[in-house]
Amino acid sequence: MDINFSKEDLAFRDELREWLANDYPKHVKDKMDKGEHLTRQDMVDYHKALSSKGWMGYNWPVEYGGTGWSATQLYLFNKEFGMAGCPPLLAFGVSMVAPVIWTFGNEEQKKRFLPDILDFNTWWCQGYSEPGSGSDLASLKTKAVKEGDHYVVNGSKTWTTLAQNADWIFLLVRTDSTGKKQEGISFLLVDMKTPGIEVKPIITIDGDHEVNSVFFTDVKVPVENLVGEEGKGWTYAKFLLAHERFGIAAVGASMRALNELKEVVAELNNSDLDKKVAEMEIAISALEMTELRLLSDLENGGHPGAESSILKIKGTEIQQGLTELFVEAAGEYALMYPGAGGYGSNDKPSGPEHAAVSLEKFLNFRKTSIYGGSNEIQKNIISKFVLGV
Amino acid sequence: MNLSYTEEQVMLREQIQKFCETEYDFYKREEVVKSENDFDANAWSLFAEQGWLSMPFSEESGGFGFGPIELSILFEEFGKSLVIEPYLSNVVLAGSVLDKSNFEGKVDLIEGICSGSMHVSLAYAEAAHSYEYLKPDTNVSDDNKLNGTKTLVLNGKNASKVIVSCVRNGELSLVLVDKTAEGVSFNTFRTIDEKTCAEFTFENVSIQDSDVIASGDEAKNLLTETINLATLCISAEAVGCMVSCYNKTVQYTKEREQFDQPISNFQVLQHRMVDMFIDSELAKSLLFKAMLEVDADSEDKFKHVSALKAHVGKFGKLSAQNAVQLHGGMGVSEEMMIGHYLKKMVAIDAMFGNADYHLKSFSK
Repeated sequence: MDINFSKEDLAFRDELREWLANDYPKHVKDKMDKGEHLTRQDMVDYHKALSSKGWMGYNWPVEYGGTGWSATQLYLFNKEFGMAGCPPLLAFGVSMVAPVIWTFGNEEQKKRFLPDILDFNTWWCQGYSEPGSGSDLASLKTKAVKEGDHYVVNGSKTWTTLAQNADWIFLLVRTDSTGKKQEGISFLLVDMKTPGIEVKPIITIDGDHEVNSVFFTDVKVPVENLVGEEGKGWTYAKFLLAHERFGIAAVGASMRALNELKEVVAELNNSDLDKKVAEMEIAISALEMTELRLLSDLENGGHPGAESSILKIKGTEIQQGLTELFVEAAGEYALMYPGAGGYGSNDKPSGPEHAAVSLEKFLNFRKTSIYGGSNEIQKNIISKFVLGV
Repeated sequence: MNLSYTEEQVMLREQIQKFCETEYDFYKREEVVKSENDFDANAWSLFAEQGWLSMPFSEESGGFGFGPIELSILFEEFGKSLVIEPYLSNVVLAGSVLDKSNFEGKVDLIEGICSGSMHVSLAYAEAAHSYEYLKPDTNVSDDNKLNGTKTLVLNGKNASKVIVSCVRNGELSLVLVDKTAEGVSFNTFRTIDEKTCAEFTFENVSIQDSDVIASGDEAKNLLTETINLATLCISAEAVGCMVSCYNKTVQYTKEREQFDQPISNFQVLQHRMVDMFIDSELAKSLLFKAMLEVDADSEDKFKHVSALKAHVGKFGKLSAQNAVQLHGGMGVSEEMMIGHYLKKMVAIDAMFGNADYHLKSFSK
């Protein structure tokens, strides 16, 4: 048993750190360090900086222009970037739709879409959830009817993250409603500029415009934008969700938040809070070791399955717990949020620096236990596949 | 980075599992509890034959030189079956103090422990100094007389020799006392997890220079290191208990029918069992971290053992309480095994610093 990383892996980690020190775009870093909102352009700059280093395809095979990194390298990438406080990478293009395209798409689609994802020329968003279909995703109703060389799409999607910035959307649609609900679902790629698409903001409780409703009225999608076979979309959707797991534990980001929290709490002389921070630190250590155990298993040829749901559940509980402790540390300054600039503004209310972002993060992070398969769904998964009940 | 056990370690685990499954079921354990010695002489000789009693001793002392990883394996498996044999008191507590000391007479004592022919206990605790073991009131006077009372001496009843922590010449010392020596008296009682335990009183017991195992910094290090190792061991035992708690609960809820169906169909019970499973996995992860740090003798080894102990103290008890709850009335029946896990978890939390104590140690 050896907990140390190999020389090669450590050299790789140094390379990551070097990029973070020298090439992580400074205007993005400054805003992230202050807890400010990023603009669309900031996000594009950040992703393009990674593209030019050749790291955009961090979880892609070399064949399609990816890095071909090992599971350990991916782990280090995620951890180091988290510890440096980088924005989470937008998953929709690079790690959600791309693997579906290279696994189930045709040659034409691979050529057409993959290079632009790798260069971050296209911003993708995800058309999965609907007003009536959340955890029970297969009940989705958005309909696509084939008319000649087009599908005509009608219906609506919801909770669509950053759809206001997106160039393309991948869409689960119902092409057949006669059989089982999992059958008759198809996977379409849709240009957001197509007539009949309307994006309406949903403002979340932190005051942010991160998610949207997307409405489709007689939207004409060329049949060549169907991925794989008609009616097999559910298989591709499940395949995609398996890829969404990457970095879900967010250990690096939580370690950074913990260190910031410790600095804040050190000034307060509050032994109750100290105790909660210690418990949090132990929880993070346990999560980190759990991820390393799964990683070791993976590198030894194992196939960790539903156990990885632990990472989602505990990772998000920890992320949320940290934001709660920041709010506690803010004391009565928590009342000042959002301050004179209003919700979604980068103006800070008065009070200590840490208090200003604490409430916003606390409210924003409620999403983590809901998205990506809610934590209750994750428990159902463990119950069925690990405990066998 | 590779967190797999070696083939040798896997074999050790299988060997111990086989013993627990075939020769130490709950009924057997009950017999041992009711027996006069509070341990099973046959099992103890078997442990000696298998080499388990000599496992952690250095090769110079005639042991296998196995470390905290192998000890953790053994204790995890013992935890699953609630083995009550006096391994902790003899091999881990008294054994590692002797093994790592420069004490001249240690060879015979270690031989006695390894062969199973002699029991030795470590008297580290005093009623007035809960969890603070380095400043005992028990002392050796200038005319070499030992006086004081030591409590919670595990397996004190069966021990023929006791290693006593005390103050001598103004510094912490560890001295070896023969149980039959004049001035030694003791009462035995049973711990909540059915182990035998004693309270020793020493009244003007004569101590020779040759009885002194260690003094000053050496004594302090021996005691601190030994308690840390023992804390790791009982935490590994707690991990084993937690694994058994969810496994046995899953099994039981699948068999127990109410409202014309197995109660495992109910989601509220499923999610609670998932919580038990997750907490046991996190405990396992903290065990990996702690045993590797102890194995590497790192600066942080105390901190990581504290993290583990704090976690199992809190969540181990919670798991066992949930196991009792999900077993319904059966959970509180003395004749069922499941409630005994709860007693074990309470005992483990209470020993060598409870969850609160270790949370504080961790953040120091």
